[in-house]
Amino acid sequence: MIRPRERRWMAVAVAVLYVFLLAPIAIVVLAALNSGAYLRFPPEGLSLRWFVAFAESRSFTSSLRFSLKLAALATAASTVVGTMASVWIVRFSGRWRNAFRVLFVAPLAVPGILTGIALLIFFYAVGWGNTGFVGLVIGHTLICTPYVFLITSAGLLRFDRTLEEAARNLGAGALRTFWRITLPLIKGGIISGAVFAFVASYDEFNISLLLSGVGMTPLPIQLFDYLRFSFDPTAAVAGTISIGMAFVVVLVTQKLVGLDALYLGGG
Amino acid sequence: MAQIVLDHLTKRFGDTPAVTDLSLELASGELVALLGPSGCGKTTTLRMVAGFETPTAGRVWLADRDLTDAPPERRNCGMVFQNYALFPHLTVEQNVAFGLEMRGVERAEIRRRVADILDKVELGGLGGRYPRQLSGGQQQRTALARALVVNPSVLLLDEPLANLDAKLREEMRFYIRSLQREFHITTLYVTHDQAEALVLADRVAILMGGVLQQYGRPEDVYHRPRSAAVAGFIGLTNLIPGRVRARGAGRVIVDTALGPVTAGGDPALREGADALLSVRPEQLDLLRPDAAPRNGANVLRGTVRERTFLGSLADFRVDVGGGVVLRVQGRPSAVERAGDAVAVAFDADAAWALPRATS
Amino acid sequence: MGAPARDVLAVELVGAGPPPERRLARHAGRHVLIVPALAVLIVFFVLPYLNLTLISLMTPSHQAPYARVLTLGNYATLLRDPFTWRVIWHTLWIGVATTAICLVISYPLAYHLARAPRRLRGLLMILVISPLLVGVLIRTYGWMILLQDTGLINQTLRALHLPAAPLMYNDTGVLIGLVHVFVPFMVLSIAGTIQTIDPELEFAARSLGAGAWRTFRRVVFPLSLPGVLAGTVLVWVLTISSYVIPSLLGGFTVLTVPILVVRTVTELFNWPGGSAFAILFFVITLAVVGLYVRAMGHAGRLPDQGDDR
Repeated sequence: MIRPRERRWMAVAVAVLYVFLLAPIAIVVLAALNSGAYLRFPPEGLSLRWFVAFAESRSFTSSLRFSLKLAALATAASTVVGTMASVWIVRFSGRWRNAFRVLFVAPLAVPGILTGIALLIFFYAVGWGNTGFVGLVIGHTLICTPYVFLITSAGLLRFDRTLEEAARNLGAGALRTFWRITLPLIKGGIISGAVFAFVASYDEFNISLLLSGVGMTPLPIQLFDYLRFSFDPTAAVAGTISIGMAFVVVLVTQKLVGLDALYLGGG
Repeated sequence: MAQIVLDHLTKRFGDTPAVTDLSLELASGELVALLGPSGCGKTTTLRMVAGFETPTAGRVWLADRDLTDAPPERRNCGMVFQNYALFPHLTVEQNVAFGLEMRGVERAEIRRRVADILDKVELGGLGGRYPRQLSGGQQQRTALARALVVNPSVLLLDEPLANLDAKLREEMRFYIRSLQREFHITTLYVTHDQAEALVLADRVAILMGGVLQQYGRPEDVYHRPRSAAVAGFIGLTNLIPGRVRARGAGRVIVDTALGPVTAGGDPALREGADALLSVRPEQLDLLRPDAAPRNGANVLRGTVRERTFLGSLADFRVDVGGGVVLRVQGRPSAVERAGDAVAVAFDADAAWALPRATS
Repeated sequence: MGAPARDVLAVELVGAGPPPERRLARHAGRHVLIVPALAVLIVFFVLPYLNLTLISLMTPSHQAPYARVLTLGNYATLLRDPFTWRVIWHTLWIGVATTAICLVISYPLAYHLARAPRRLRGLLMILVISPLLVGVLIRTYGWMILLQDTGLINQTLRALHLPAAPLMYNDTGVLIGLVHVFVPFMVLSIAGTIQTIDPELEFAARSLGAGAWRTFRRVVFPLSLPGVLAGTVLVWVLTISSYVIPSLLGGFTVLTVPILVVRTVTELFNWPGGSAFAILFFVITLAVVGLYVRAMGHAGRLPDQGDDR
């Protein structure tokens, strides 16, 4: 319990922290819209020239396209695999539930950079040294599946199973119950999971750093190479696109399952 | 003809017995309340009838078919769930139509029958709403309509009134009763609320610890409980230990610390057996200490220790000696103050002797 | 709704269902659901890590990524090299510092979030989660704009005639970037537990005479320890294994284990050496987390965390 005067102090502290959280993101958007090559105060003026530069930069546009393609494939694969797994875990895993849950979330818990190295060496060892694009899709699917799994499971756990019993009681078989009752009600969780997976893949760096070959440069890798040597705001445009996408995802998730599903705590 | 027959049903979850050797028959059109404290196995029993649990042993017969192994969708029993289980993504109409669709009924026919039943449960005009837009009572009636529209062979109700507020609960009791009569549908009604069971049911089955304690008309269960547990679960009662001295002509005489008491008695009671006398507080009369006893009535003398005003009634604790304090309910004017000397009188019909388990 | 209709429906519907053997087959069919996920995990996760362990025992070679000769030499070389230990030590230290700062920053945020009215909570959740969804790279870029020598902060300092501060290409920059990236994880962990603490407990403590601080220290904080534990472990593990932020904000001056491992594998092509370093680091991480969790448990203040269902 917090009393009014304490609450005011709390509000100030919290506001400062939110500014800290959001500042660098706002800065990127500002940099993209700023007309000068360096951001300074006061800003030199608004301009879309860096958006034009981005659109005209072959390396950026082709990485953007590549990233979208990669994310689409990884999302499709991980949504199917992750949803099936979450249904199984929530409904049929019995006493193995916890063990499997840990296993399925493990790719998020171990360092991504090590997973990248392990995959790189593994592909070579089994003779798939130049798997290229397929290897990237596999790596991304591995990272995206836990997100789908976590979010879909949250939806399934919240699903009231007496609804299925009611449907069975009214004469629907197991399959029909799934299509008519269960699926429409957990659809939100699956869509959110897929959206999350898409963004996770679009932003994935570690796996891509180790597995992307010549001519296959996802946007994060392109940005990384770029930022090591240059600060010009073309990169900020890529950032702004990604930020816009993130907000869409957050809004969709909030609407469909509620962001509470993402609490990580041991409560 | 029995519509529901439970034949020696047993259900164990792992090593834990939930229901043990339960046999029950419901005649056509009868409403039976399955009554017991929470965890007594009543919901498990209902779920075995509906097909959500498979019995460990025993058979379930519905409308003269052995459906023990049939999946729930092939049993044709209507069910109202405790939380109603209305499909949140479907409107009231679509919820009610669901069972008919599953049975392949034609569209026009579905529309007609849905409209009919919604009128009957006074939900005409709300068909386009979603469950979350309805009040508790409306959700309840939607659930009833959904269960009844398919003309089920039996109706199963799982604590259907538990989620309603007290006033609405009372109204819905009578509503459910009249609807059940109108459809003349055999109904198994699970509840932990003894008042609900007594008001609604043709017969009451009392289940404790997964074992059927007593099955009979509400009056029988209330006035002639088979055991102390049943007597204590249904209504308030005073239990006085004693020993059967003599019996005959439907009466027993029980020796107690308060002297001999004449009572009705369980036929199984033998002379010399340990017994418990059960006397309901509202069947005890408080009289002035010098009042002359009615003919054949038992009279005990004592002192009022406590008086609690309840509104139309008052609750008295009367010390009648021998370490026995009786609970009496009567007119508040019967005794004005604690400490007064009184006589407690009750007819032989008001007391019931039941066997006392000796351990 | 007459009786005849009832019978027609009953006849269509009522029956024993599929024979038992078919139902048994359907039962087994359920487990098909898990096959794809399990296949992906075993083939592309478990096996690669096993393989990594195996490669760490191979001999480095100049002709191929490694020679198929078993050796413990990679580990011996690592363990003998003081440089290895310096980098490991520095990495662990950055992890602890980041985690501590994250905890201090996140707790008020989490408390405020968990106790906010429903409406506001939705908005705050959006604010907390959004940074999480903006790629690490983009956020790091934002910090670079702010922190570099010609960046906004130093511009402002100069305008105020204050000495410029070196904020990038050193530990300070790396810490700022890491804290910023991992605060949301910590907030989500802690807020999840705080939300399960009944606010009435705080009222009770206050009514018994505890002030705001003591209520926090004696009631809220102890009860939120599971979330704190989960959050600190998560943030620490993520921090010590992060690559992007130390590389970009640390330039080439801040060396951490992930940077060194990647360099060993991709620039020196010493796969066995890199693998051994990775495994060694993995083991150290597990050991530290294990000790930490046990220490927290032994403090006797952690309620048992069962299955969360």
